[in-house]
Amino acid sequence: MNKHAGLFNKMPISIEQRESRLGWKLIAPSLGVIGLLIIYPILYNIYLSFFDVKLTGEKFFIGLANYEKLLQDTAFYGSVLTTIIFLIGTVVGSTLIGLLVALLMNLQFPFRNVARAIILLPYFAPIISVVFGWQFIFDPVNGIYNHVMVEVLHVTDQRHNLIGDPHTALLVVIIFDIWRHFPISCLLIISKLQSINRDQYEAAAIDGCGPLGRFFHVTLPEIYFVLGTLVILRLIWNINKFEDVFLLAPNVQTLPIFTYYAAFTGIIDQGFAATISVVQFLFLSFLIYFYVKKVLKW
Amino acid sequence: MASVTLKNIYKSFGYVEVLHNINLEVDEGAFVVLVGPSGCGKSTTLRLIAGLEDATEGEVLINKRVVNLIEPQHRNIAMVFQNYALYPHKNVRENIIFGLKRAKAPKDLINRRLERVSRILELEDLLDRKPAQLSGGQRQRVAMGRAIVRDADVFLFDEPLSNLDAKLRHQMRSEIRRIHREYKTTSIYVTHDQVEAMTLGDKVVVMRDGFIEQHGSPMEIYLKPNNIFVATFIGAPSMNMLDATLFPGFVELEGQKLMLTKRINENDIPLPKEGKKLKLGIRPDFFLDEDIVGKETHLAIIRNAHIDIIEPLGFDRELDVQVGNQALKARLDLRTMAKEGETINLCFDMERAHFFDVGTEKRLSIH
Amino acid sequence: MIGKRSFLQNIFLALAVGSVLFICLFPFIQILSTSLKHQFDWGNPSLIPMKINLEAYRELLGFGKMKDAPIPDTIKRLLDNPLITEKKKDEIISKYRSTGDVFPFPRYFLNTFILSASAASISLILAVFGAYSFSRLRFKGRSTIQRSILFVYMVGGVMLMVPLYQMSVKAGLTKTVWGSLLSLLLIYIIQTLPVSLYMLGNYFRTIPYSLEEAAATDGCSRIEAIFFIILPLSAPMLVTVFVYCFIIAWNEFLFASVFIKQFHDFHTLPLALQSLFVSKNAIWDRIMSASMLTLLPVIFCFMFVMRNLTGGLTAGGVKE
Repeated sequence: MNKHAGLFNKMPISIEQRESRLGWKLIAPSLGVIGLLIIYPILYNIYLSFFDVKLTGEKFFIGLANYEKLLQDTAFYGSVLTTIIFLIGTVVGSTLIGLLVALLMNLQFPFRNVARAIILLPYFAPIISVVFGWQFIFDPVNGIYNHVMVEVLHVTDQRHNLIGDPHTALLVVIIFDIWRHFPISCLLIISKLQSINRDQYEAAAIDGCGPLGRFFHVTLPEIYFVLGTLVILRLIWNINKFEDVFLLAPNVQTLPIFTYYAAFTGIIDQGFAATISVVQFLFLSFLIYFYVKKVLKW
Repeated sequence: MASVTLKNIYKSFGYVEVLHNINLEVDEGAFVVLVGPSGCGKSTTLRLIAGLEDATEGEVLINKRVVNLIEPQHRNIAMVFQNYALYPHKNVRENIIFGLKRAKAPKDLINRRLERVSRILELEDLLDRKPAQLSGGQRQRVAMGRAIVRDADVFLFDEPLSNLDAKLRHQMRSEIRRIHREYKTTSIYVTHDQVEAMTLGDKVVVMRDGFIEQHGSPMEIYLKPNNIFVATFIGAPSMNMLDATLFPGFVELEGQKLMLTKRINENDIPLPKEGKKLKLGIRPDFFLDEDIVGKETHLAIIRNAHIDIIEPLGFDRELDVQVGNQALKARLDLRTMAKEGETINLCFDMERAHFFDVGTEKRLSIH
Repeated sequence: MIGKRSFLQNIFLALAVGSVLFICLFPFIQILSTSLKHQFDWGNPSLIPMKINLEAYRELLGFGKMKDAPIPDTIKRLLDNPLITEKKKDEIISKYRSTGDVFPFPRYFLNTFILSASAASISLILAVFGAYSFSRLRFKGRSTIQRSILFVYMVGGVMLMVPLYQMSVKAGLTKTVWGSLLSLLLIYIIQTLPVSLYMLGNYFRTIPYSLEEAAATDGCSRIEAIFFIILPLSAPMLVTVFVYCFIIAWNEFLFASVFIKQFHDFHTLPLALQSLFVSKNAIWDRIMSASMLTLLPVIFCFMFVMRNLTGGLTAGGVKE
């Protein structure tokens, strides 16, 4: 501390102290908003999970009853299973396809930048709009999917409502989610690919590596870290995914949708919904912890 | 114009103390150069004066006024940064007059100053360009212009030439000298390049590891370095430091007796019988080829130095030679007939040699 | 990459790129195509309409001939009742007219636009100062703040659904339209604030400190340096962050459905489209043209900031 430092606000203060005060002043509004509307709700959610909460705000303390109810709820386990399948499918799919497309888009060809921009469209387009496009594609009466399957390829002789049927709907949701999210994986992988020095490929080629060998010996080690990051971030994002699933196929009950139904539809039980969120939050925190420790290496 | 004084300055970053008791006096209108290897604290010292860093202890005075608690914008200083720090979104004109406009100077004053500065720095044709459209040297001149236009009390230069190529650096060096002659503003200049330090400063301050090792005029520092660090840091190629032993009347180097001159001998220090081990410092430029100068009695001679390599540098040639187990460099003019692989006798004036204590590395005041 | 490609390889590359682009674009083409088709044409797999149908667009944008919903006879009889005042009559009629007005697209568009733009602006303003603080000022606790921001940045909205709703109920906000809209605005702000802080923080860090130091010696205070130097330099990034936040809010469905479902006039586009889809008025051409119109602003914004956005996303991570 500077010996000239003032004890009181009125007294002149050192440059360091001024900087520190300004820092707190500037961050304060953001911290206030985040504290009040993110940190506090997270804690409040845990609190609510011990109550029977009405939509109107009335609540009664019921201890661990919500948790007992959750653990005995077969629908919950079904939802966990659905979530796991959804996560595995989308994480593997979006990362692998993202990687393949990134390798493709990293080659030289005319209008490459335009192509790169176009593949980002699924990611940025409003989910509500593209959902209807997909609904139409799989529409049992008018959709192109059934047309191709039945009339062109004769795979089946009957039109199916893929999205209406909860079993096939999960598959459609996974494909849809991959379609929406491979672009961002692709973008991040491309930016890493571009940073790989050309010399490395030439050196590998001189050492007798073919294209496949170059991929495994040069490309893969370089992007390994990005792939890891993508996998874990995709897991984190997709645990929270609501719109992509709910709007396309409300009958696919991943955990967020399960929570939504408990909280706002049918027999409303917000305390129970809070409980599901807490469980989900614990899992998410574990993933974030893992991400921070292993990927960011704090 | 103003004087700048640093009194007992200490500076720590966290637990690391980077400046230890720095005292410095810069007179009004002086041009002082802080020089030292990277990490020596010279830039931190400059930033303390600018107000970009706090002193942990001690006082910074500008114009005999303590300014520790005064923010940089109120210190009336101008600074030229290593990377020029031109505002990329403003053109040259806006860059130069930004400070004046912030100070709400009247329009005609701004125009007058701008005109003068752009004339002096030959920026007239560049005023409407953005920094990105300028070459390195031009950017450097704009950065200079931005500093001098404001008529600040003190100019601070933080390695302003280190991003330029050798030729431009030389040119800008003379430009800075010329500007200082014209404006006579107190200037403090930080560099790691001892050539810049020697050519620019009225006064040079050599720093190392957060200490001031020596300050004085360039010639003082060149001719009378306080210690081994200053001796080897200033001057290029750097001074030879040879292990030798001092006896009454002569110095022994690798078994050869090098006679001291009478004047040095009279000044002698108490010597043990087996002699005093010390470092003998001789600048490569002060060697002469015995074959060229002939036998001059007042010169000391290192005999049978074995020539490893000769680098012709135009007028000069630089020799890497071996004397016993020690290597040294000598710079001779092109008259020398020496050849690689042969031996040479090197003469030098003992009054131009330096003696340093082996332990403390301080200069021994034999002369 | 190494060596030249043969003719066959080029063909293969073109096919591969072509099919990737086709898969990316197909749903969009499908939306456009169906929005322009007549009903008899829907089942036709061809993407090119046999006959262009602009009816749905005209209807949505509120010009062209709007079919007045027929007023049922019972109501007509009611209107003939002389006891009812003229004012009351108009109210009843307009009520029926407005249900006939199946999808007031411009209104929903405006709702969504105002909400998204306000949320993005507030979020951006908060983030500019916040991000500046933790990316460029030295103070105790700053690294803790940076880490907490990264943490909340990964906590999704779904987890906050119940507590935020309960908080609004407790604060009495859910009872009124404006209260609900305020809740929604606040929620959109917190959904976008962490990512804005993150992206801007990463960007600010790339601006050399010496620029601000130069500004300081030129007589600027720290705050003035933000306005005169940092913000003008960050302009492209500010636009990018704004647009990114705008798109997040523009696309949001969950909280809109929780908070403003019962206030029909204040629906946002995603909510309105979803209601339209499940309502009796669901006709493919209408849904698709509404989807198309919802898409357009985003595509427009997207083209506008494309270059910076991809840079910002790769440097700053992404938020969903």
